[in-house]
Amino acid sequence: MDSKNNKGHSVFIISLLLTLIFIVWGVFFTDNLTKVTDIIYNGSIDYLGWVYLGAALFFVIFSIYLLFSKYGDIRLGKKTDRPDFNTASWLAMLFGAGMGIGIVYWSVAEPVTHYTTPPYGEGYTIDAANTAMKYTFFHWGFDPWAIYTVIGLALAFFQYNKRLPAAISSAFHPILGDRIYGPIGKTIDILSIFATVFGIATSLGLGAMQVTAGMHEIFGVPNELFVQLIVIVVATVLFIISINTGLEKGIQYLSNAAMILSFAIMLMILIVGPTMTIIKVFFNTTGLYISDFIHMSLRLKPFGEGEWIASWTLFYWAWWIAWAPFVGMFIARVSKGRTIREFVIGVLIVPTLGTCLWMSIFGGAALELVQNTGNHDLAENITENVSLAIFTFFDYLPLSSVLSILGFAVVAIYYITVADTATFVLGMLSEGGTLNPSNKIKMTWGVIQSALAAVLLLAGGLNVLQTASIAAALPFALIMVVMCFSLVKGLKSEVEVHRGNKRSSYPS
Amino acid sequence: MKLYQVRKGQFVYFNNELHKVYGVKPMYKLSIHLIKLRDLSQHITNAVSVEKYTPKELDSFIFNHKAYTLRKDRNAEAGDYILINNPMPDSLDTYSLNEIDLVETADNKGVITSNSHGVKHNEYLLMVPGRAAGSNPIDYKDKEYTEDEGLTDIGTLGMTSSELLPSLGDIYKKKDTDSLLEAMVIAIKEQTVYLGGGIEVTPEELLNTEKWEFLYNLLDK
Repeated sequence: MDSKNNKGHSVFIISLLLTLIFIVWGVFFTDNLTKVTDIIYNGSIDYLGWVYLGAALFFVIFSIYLLFSKYGDIRLGKKTDRPDFNTASWLAMLFGAGMGIGIVYWSVAEPVTHYTTPPYGEGYTIDAANTAMKYTFFHWGFDPWAIYTVIGLALAFFQYNKRLPAAISSAFHPILGDRIYGPIGKTIDILSIFATVFGIATSLGLGAMQVTAGMHEIFGVPNELFVQLIVIVVATVLFIISINTGLEKGIQYLSNAAMILSFAIMLMILIVGPTMTIIKVFFNTTGLYISDFIHMSLRLKPFGEGEWIASWTLFYWAWWIAWAPFVGMFIARVSKGRTIREFVIGVLIVPTLGTCLWMSIFGGAALELVQNTGNHDLAENITENVSLAIFTFFDYLPLSSVLSILGFAVVAIYYITVADTATFVLGMLSEGGTLNPSNKIKMTWGVIQSALAAVLLLAGGLNVLQTASIAAALPFALIMVVMCFSLVKGLKSEVEVHRGNKRSSYPS
Repeated sequence: MKLYQVRKGQFVYFNNELHKVYGVKPMYKLSIHLIKLRDLSQHITNAVSVEKYTPKELDSFIFNHKAYTLRKDRNAEAGDYILINNPMPDSLDTYSLNEIDLVETADNKGVITSNSHGVKHNEYLLMVPGRAAGSNPIDYKDKEYTEDEGLTDIGTLGMTSSELLPSLGDIYKKKDTDSLLEAMVIAIKEQTVYLGGGIEVTPEELLNTEKWEFLYNLLDK
């Protein structure tokens, strides 16, 4: 027991120090940080691209394998456990956790940006519009959800079925045995925390930009870095109050409200927007996505500039991976009592359909605006002010002020709920997987994650956010690949136990 | 006007006996789903017919045929039952009001239950087996109308603490014998459980983990 307690402490201290060093570097040597992240960014295009592409494709294949494998009937938890949530609210929660701020931020900006600067072919054409939607589906489709499936399943399985602590290192028990409590396990946990802090900081940074943009649109507040920093500070104070006063239940109600509001916005746009175009876009792009999936998954440009791939595909893969311990922990917590087959359908298939539908509605409606009216200025405007994109888009729809206010509410609520939940997850991860992280550690992480988001915004906004997650997620991507093998080993032993029990009653 | 605010988890009196609300389905005429704490049987009613009771320290009641007294004079340890009477769940916790859980591990910050809930020490009351002297029995709202055995502990039947009562399709393995014997519950008639192979046992015997081991239910995958 002592060794486990020590483990909690050293993991917390080392990962905290690493992050602090990074923050100090960002505050006092901002130029240097920007320069180094630039080098990493360019290096990632040349050297790391294939690692991310390979890993992400592998996770998709692995998740589909789990869906059809003999392990599908294993239940997460005791055999008598039943799900805590009904299926509809479970799916809504998964969707909200996995996409959250990002889906609001990018759903208009990404298709339109691809439309102006497509990965191949000419911009501002019908082909470019189709390619834009195809790549948006690709970036938000099976790959992120496969990453979440792998990590969520590993966390849930080792936590509920093997009764191990809720830490990433627990997923390595079949390979490492009790060494998960030793230096190797600690290293895994530290790397996972490091990636998670950056994943969360990226989301918080994007969120702060989006909240500021919303206030700019609705209240005329200047859309500047200074305001973004104020948003971060206010949010930090709010969730620290919530941690200390037991308002967590209120946060849960808020997050349910955000989910309902986002579905409301989606339906409104489907109705007031170009409904037929949206439906056509959904069908057409689904076809393109499925038929070009392999090509897009492995696409690198060996004889040319890979700039586009790095700033989009690689960034997304890295961001999803950095974001994965957080989402994985959430998914594991709400999925107890599901079988593995249910889990994979619920985490891989259904949310993918959901995101594709969401992207068709927002992206399809936005592309209709810029393509059919030939409004190139609007497209450029959206591309240049990405964080304003969704509000610019709302301006062209009926009921635009209602949509803007709803959109702002959703983004603000997502921001605060994500920040709040993140402190809990970081607390768990850094205290050796305990389910009762102490408030002090949660508050420390709360301050740190906000500080990191602020530093990254100070150092150069979106580009630095993207680069930082690409760099921080790389070691964790490799950890996740090994985790898949460990998971299979664990599942195999579970099947053998089951079969051992059943054999005498069903001689086969 | 009386406003009925029935929430999941509340302890309520229904037909003079202590029940717990395990579900509220608004819009239905019979919207309140109850479980009788004494024998874990399920009942359904409406909000008018129930009356709320907030359990507190030194209350005693029968849960699943065994008497417990609520205490908070010490922190829970592994193996204790707790009643989460003051839930303050963290953002990822899934437990709710008045859940009764078995403690699996405990440390100075809180306990972790067998349902993987992390509960802090100020969120629960300890359920100490037996009725403590001076405890306040809360099984019946109006003690005078209790017809039968009343407040005596009817849990002395040797029941295990398992919450699993036998149900059809349960497959058990006999443990206190060297030869292999596995049988399925095929019928339950009052206090007799009929297993395949012509075995008849009482539920108490079947739930005795030294004699029978529960393997799985036929309907479980």
